[in-house]
Amino acid sequence: MEFEVINKNKDELVFMVNGADIAFVNAIRRICMMEVPTIAIDDVNLVKNDSAMFNEVLAHRLGLLPIASDIKSIEGLVMPDECDCGEYCPQCSVPMTLNKKGPCVVYSKDLESLDQKIKPVYDTIPLLKLKEDEEVCLEAYAQLGIGKEHAKWQPTIVCAYKFYPELTFGDECTSCGNCAGACPRGVLQYNNNKVEIMDLTNCSMCKSCYRACDDRVINISFDDSKFIFKIETDGSIPPEEVLLKACDVLSDKADKIIEIV
Amino acid sequence: MIPIRCISCGKPVSAYFDEYQDRIAKGEDPKAVLDDLGITRYCCRRMLITHVETW
Ligand code: SF4
Ligand code: SF4
Ligand SMILES: [Zn+2]
Ligand SMILES: [Zn+2]
Repeated sequence: MEFEVINKNKDELVFMVNGADIAFVNAIRRICMMEVPTIAIDDVNLVKNDSAMFNEVLAHRLGLLPIASDIKSIEGLVMPDECDCGEYCPQCSVPMTLNKKGPCVVYSKDLESLDQKIKPVYDTIPLLKLKEDEEVCLEAYAQLGIGKEHAKWQPTIVCAYKFYPELTFGDECTSCGNCAGACPRGVLQYNNNKVEIMDLTNCSMCKSCYRACDDRVINISFDDSKFIFKIETDGSIPPEEVLLKACDVLSDKADKIIEIV
Repeated sequence: MIPIRCISCGKPVSAYFDEYQDRIAKGEDPKAVLDDLGITRYCCRRMLITHVETW
């Protein structure tokens, strides 16, 4: 199997996989989304909420906050179902508190976590608004969990793959340039009486170029063992960590099957 | 209040809400601001463009 990183930044990783089959790539994709543990707020004790927002809505908003869950931050933390405390203990949960008096907008940065590393990824998320003399006071417990249980524990937002496109021109191509004009993604460009392929990874295989070609001599196909894979995360875990963890989970699963068989 | 995340894809768009609003109020073009903030998908862009802050 061959890998090549096409594009990478803080929250996004695009890479090419060559020589894999669909089942394998899809398994990785599903595990990235569903079985890589992240931290999210799971329980909220509201002591006081004078705002116009319902308690349930506020709790829901808190649950959706992306919280730093990279390997370093979650070191030592165990999954709640592996912990035998039955409630919330320091091994399985991180308590957070929010105390604020209006008038103000309460932001995610106002949430005070007991653990310095495990806190909301973004400081600027507005949670609720308080008017004059209104107060909010709550206690929240963040825990590890997986996307299979609830979408708030999904580390990825976009996690998808597509086949690697293949473009070929037949011998009868007259270099008229019609195909280049029809491409909505700028993959084909008409320069000096020649059609050039610019960035093939950007091709969506929409076949607009094929339809624009009078003699239908341009060919769009794909290689079904070559993929372009994109992982974009919500900031809680870097995308390469998601991928590595997904590979670990998959190999654990394979080990389990080998044991049974 | 703006939803915390994009309803379609899950990107935490609310983190950019204040900056977006401030820059729009200063007269910047919404398209330019969204591009600059790195909000590329149309699902996320509509979250900010169409939001009406009422309470
Ligand atoms: S439209 Fe067809 S004939 Fe014209 S340049 Fe493209 S492939 Fe060649
Ligand atoms: S299939 Fe669509 S995106 Fe790809 S080169 Fe043809 S027109 Fe462009
Ligand atoms: Zn515990
Ligand atoms: Zn979106």
